[in-house]
Amino acid sequence: MNTFDELNAIFCKVFYDNDIKISRENTSDDIDGWDSLSHLNLVVAVEKHFGIKFRDDEIAKWKNVGEMYDSLVLLIQKKQQK
Amino acid sequence: MSDFQIINNQYNIAYYCTRHQCDNGNAEKVAFRWISHTGERQDYTFEKLDKESSRYANALLGLGIKKGDIVFTFLPKMPEQFFAFLGALKIQAVAGTLFSNFGEEALTDRIGDSGAKVVVTKKSLLKKLLRALPSLEKLEYIIVVDIEDHDGKILSAPCLLKSASENFGIPVTSPDTPSVLHYTSGSTGKPKGVQHVHKSILTQSYTALKVLNLKDDDVYWCTADQGWVTGTSYGIIGPWSIGVTQLHYGGAYNAETWMKLLEEEGVTKWYTAPTALRMLMREDANIFRKFSLEKLVYIFSIGEPLNPEINVWAKEVLNKDIYDTWFQTETGSIMISNRPGISIRTGTMGKPIDIIHAEIISDDGDICPVGETGHLCIREPWDSMFVDYLNNSDTYKAKFKKGYYYSGDMVFRDEDGYFHFVGRNDDVINTAGHLISPFEVESTLLEIHEIAESAVIGAPDDLLFEKVVAFIRLKDGISWSDDLEMKIRIFLSNRLSSIATPQDIRIIEEIPKNKSGKIMRRVLKAWYKGEDPGDISTMDI
Repeated sequence: MNTFDELNAIFCKVFYDNDIKISRENTSDDIDGWDSLSHLNLVVAVEKHFGIKFRDDEIAKWKNVGEMYDSLVLLIQKKQQK
Repeated sequence: MSDFQIINNQYNIAYYCTRHQCDNGNAEKVAFRWISHTGERQDYTFEKLDKESSRYANALLGLGIKKGDIVFTFLPKMPEQFFAFLGALKIQAVAGTLFSNFGEEALTDRIGDSGAKVVVTKKSLLKKLLRALPSLEKLEYIIVVDIEDHDGKILSAPCLLKSASENFGIPVTSPDTPSVLHYTSGSTGKPKGVQHVHKSILTQSYTALKVLNLKDDDVYWCTADQGWVTGTSYGIIGPWSIGVTQLHYGGAYNAETWMKLLEEEGVTKWYTAPTALRMLMREDANIFRKFSLEKLVYIFSIGEPLNPEINVWAKEVLNKDIYDTWFQTETGSIMISNRPGISIRTGTMGKPIDIIHAEIISDDGDICPVGETGHLCIREPWDSMFVDYLNNSDTYKAKFKKGYYYSGDMVFRDEDGYFHFVGRNDDVINTAGHLISPFEVESTLLEIHEIAESAVIGAPDDLLFEKVVAFIRLKDGISWSDDLEMKIRIFLSNRLSSIATPQDIRIIEEIPKNKSGKIMRRVLKAWYKGEDPGDISTMDI
């Protein structure tokens, strides 16, 4: 399973919907139940799963799933370099 | 703009929002401009609104739905929400709305209690509904707005509507015919179905005119979701009953998008919520410099008390005042407000509207003098007064004493007649304008295997007004962990809704209760705030 698929699996878990198929362009408007409050669940679930920690300012800048994914990949790379 | 008038004893809400507008020369006028989350625009005239809602009316009749049956919409803000809602009202069915963020437990409680026969939803929400379906024996049909084929009791709206006539003769509807149903949370027990009747339109149209100051050429935007009373009373009924064009936007909060909508769509009157305004306040001020809000005449606020600093910010950054208003699901329409024509007193609820009588009553039943805090009461009856809690008439009756409805809010009146909110007299949590029942959250927490006991309170919050805080006692042998916290959050978000999910979860060894076993939320609130809990002599230690 690649990182994007793992991220997809987390979306399914957080939003109780195994049919979710995320794409880079998806925003909170595309996934039912994804609002500012459930977003916290999503962020924490991703952080826990990958053992990383997003900065608040980068979370605030995400405009879609793709930007979230890019942040995630960077943090995973940094973690692997350590 | 002339005042709203009843014609030929016809009180049907949907009639005034659709057919009457067409007969009154507004057929070609835009009833609403729909802007999807991707920015696609579509205008719907009053004639289109009339025809589309008539098709729903005919389709529902074709399914055997009749006067008094309950039809819920479980949809996000989208055109079909309005068509189905008004279509149900046209046939004198009861139109209920369900917040699209509700999870299966919230759905089961509400649909199950009401005995609804139909739910109109969309494909992506269907899964939640299907999980609740085994408990919903009375539910006859689920109409899905975006599937192509029928599948048993799951019906395709496009199929149904294709053969449904766009003409419908709306029956003359008496003033006391049940109309709109919203579920609201109390401090105890399950959510209660607040039933309104068609004559509520009298107060809803009156306040749309006199408080929101809506006029013929306005472009009005109410940001409330139709799952809540503001979304139906002032996102459907009030403005359309007087032929006002609305903006409806299907996207989520985004400061830049909202400002762009206000500017580009030429919004003149804007009804929103303090939490949204507080979120705007936290944004970079440069965002607001990019947009001109010169067409925007008035901003109104509803849901929670509006802190004075929001008004200061609005004056500085938007060059606008914000008029705070007060009402409840039970009151059906605005009862107390700051409004054009009277000076705004920031931090207050404003003054009662002139067609109701509000009073502040002490615990002893006496009228409180100026400055003394008491129960905010409205003298019965008023036209948008709720007529029952569905299947819960005893609780309904208990809300009235000596001719007054007791709102549950504690307030005082200043010497100039402005009402000041002090707090609730019960444990209901107001988070971002949504009322949350601590009981409902506690019950759902107990469904989680690891939890032995739970207690839920509301605690002050800078953004949300109040946040949901849960105290949990874990079962023996269970340890607290990040994984368990995550499990709890995801479970609650999906079973109830994200707004009911605690912002803070505290693990304690014992839930404080009195000797009768009642949770002492007062003590928990004091502990949480680091205050003295006061008298704990009744606590069972």
